[in-house]
Amino acid sequence: MTVKVTEAAAADTGVSAASRARTELARLISYIVFGGVSVVLSSMAAGLPTSRWEPLGAGTFPKLVFALLAVLCLIAAVRSIIEIVRAGGLEGVGAAFTQWLYVRRVAIGLFVLFAVYLGVMPWTGFSLASFVFLLIAQLMIAGVSRRTVIQSIIAALIFSVGLNLLFAEVFNVFLPRGVLFAG
Amino acid sequence: MLDAFLAGAHQVFAFDTLTYMLIGSVAGIIAAAIPGFTVTMAIILTLPLTFAMEPLQGVSVMLSVYVGGYTGGLISAALLGIPGTPSSVATTFDAFPMARKGEPGRALSLGIWASFFGTVISTIVLIVAAPPLALIAVKLGPWEYFALIVFALTIVASLVGNSLIRGLIAGVIGLGIATIGPDPMMGKSRLTFDTDLLMPGLPFLVVLIGIFAISQLLSEVEIHGKKTNQALIPDVIDFKTWKVMREVLMAPVNLFRSSMIGVLIGALPGAGGSIANLLAYDQAKRSSKNPEKFGEGCADGVVASEAGNSATAGGGLIPMIALGIPGSAVDAILMASLMVHGISVGPRLIMDHADLAYGMFIAMIVSSLMMLVVCVASMRLFLRVTDIPKQFIVPTVIICCVIGAFALNNRVTDLYLLGIIGLVGYGLKSLDYPLAPLVLGVILGPIAETNLRRALMSDPDWTTFFTRPISAILLAAALLSVIFSVRSILKMRKKNRPATDEQDGD
Repeated sequence: MTVKVTEAAAADTGVSAASRARTELARLISYIVFGGVSVVLSSMAAGLPTSRWEPLGAGTFPKLVFALLAVLCLIAAVRSIIEIVRAGGLEGVGAAFTQWLYVRRVAIGLFVLFAVYLGVMPWTGFSLASFVFLLIAQLMIAGVSRRTVIQSIIAALIFSVGLNLLFAEVFNVFLPRGVLFAG
Repeated sequence: MLDAFLAGAHQVFAFDTLTYMLIGSVAGIIAAAIPGFTVTMAIILTLPLTFAMEPLQGVSVMLSVYVGGYTGGLISAALLGIPGTPSSVATTFDAFPMARKGEPGRALSLGIWASFFGTVISTIVLIVAAPPLALIAVKLGPWEYFALIVFALTIVASLVGNSLIRGLIAGVIGLGIATIGPDPMMGKSRLTFDTDLLMPGLPFLVVLIGIFAISQLLSEVEIHGKKTNQALIPDVIDFKTWKVMREVLMAPVNLFRSSMIGVLIGALPGAGGSIANLLAYDQAKRSSKNPEKFGEGCADGVVASEAGNSATAGGGLIPMIALGIPGSAVDAILMASLMVHGISVGPRLIMDHADLAYGMFIAMIVSSLMMLVVCVASMRLFLRVTDIPKQFIVPTVIICCVIGAFALNNRVTDLYLLGIIGLVGYGLKSLDYPLAPLVLGVILGPIAETNLRRALMSDPDWTTFFTRPISAILLAAALLSVIFSVRSILKMRKKNRPATDEQDGD
């Protein structure tokens, strides 16, 4: 029994080390992206003309900030690499990434829907775009059944057309009418 | 002073302000009662509704949401064992076992009274502490202000989240975001890539909504393969309102200590209700004669955790009103809402807009009274909020976020920014970056830059930052906060390593 417990503990340790390494890899990628972008922005800021009226021009502060960000990202990246090596490498990265995407499939779908919603709103206007967004998003989260479809249509109507009316009539905030209906 | 106080009271006690505050109080309680929806998000959603209001009226409504929200988190914490907001984590330790033992009404009443008294105590401290602190603050030069912001950011980075380096990176990303667009002194365009999207800069509120709300909403629909432990809410609950009030007041030391912890933690930039909630609980347990009863439904545990988190509301306003430095993301939103109305928040607020400052103090007291009345009168209704399915809440709140982002400037391009920033926020949240330092970085960035440039215009010598005593102390404190944070991380690693090595050795 003791052997079994020890084996199970060793297996758990192995799994958590591999999982830690994979998380660190994801973070390492973020440090590289932020570090790279900050180097570019820091050099862009350095190219801004200096001021005749003050020791620091418009570019100095962003240059300092992005240089600091680059240094922090470099430190974090080095630490991540050490962590990955210490954890014993990157086993099963592909499978873990697939699992990561699977867990977030509704969130990713919702974001894509959100992006399309924002993209079409200038043309269709707030009410129509919001109605369609709400309807699809609610069904995406709850699943499609006769009950959820009816509930979603009612909720979508209230929170698209209803909210538009509320903001226009009560708060004098006018939401996009849409090019198609602006006539 | 009396004139300003009466002018503030006149605005707060106006019928329409009180009506809006009452709605705000109910909205805050409902929003925070829904597991996963924070007080910050409730405030963000209130913001667009306040644009058409007078500044004090708008801030009063947001304060009522704020105070109500801190109490709303108690409902799901006590009844479901799920903290409605991060600031009610410790509340679950004793309120949930108490509810499980058949006293859900007592658990809720204890929390409500503790929240009420916690808010009142913190407001009294705010009224006493903010004006003298503001008088000192107006004498600070740009060197001290710049050092203060550096200190605030390092404290936030070291206190929030699980990693100092990611906290610092998030804070500096926030400062970086604030540099995009026109520079704060000369209006020169920077880092815009000549695009219309970036030309006006990234509006703070759009960044805030994207970073906090959109990322949180996307996280809410992740499917981790396990259902949360939804417990059944009993049909009959006896709140024992007045008996419990006496019970809370009979332990004044615990109530006062927890409230003061909340005030101090709230006044510390970045350390909000979640830390105060845990710290107050921990101190109550340490000082108790029966620490073994904590975690099994102890009344002192519920009182300490709720008084602690609610008292951060008043505490957080101290640095905001006195120094113009928001103590938390919520205070940053309150500050931004005043800035939308063209009021600059800082030490001169009490001098230039005394009616507004005193009005805020009065609004805090009124908000806590409203929260108490609303909770006592209609708690039974709020209990049903926890049953609303996510499919209705998440998409609807996203729509409210879109309205909030659009209503600020009536610009469709702000909505595209909202989408991009929301995606970045979701990515950062998934990778365990703390988001509070980023948001504080965005709001403090222009203040830091303006003061740095002003300081060097007055005296081009960099060493002045280290030779002026207050500036030097603040910079040293910033350095110390980083050193202590690194030290505690190293200590923790050392403590954990032998166990890991042992296991590896096996």
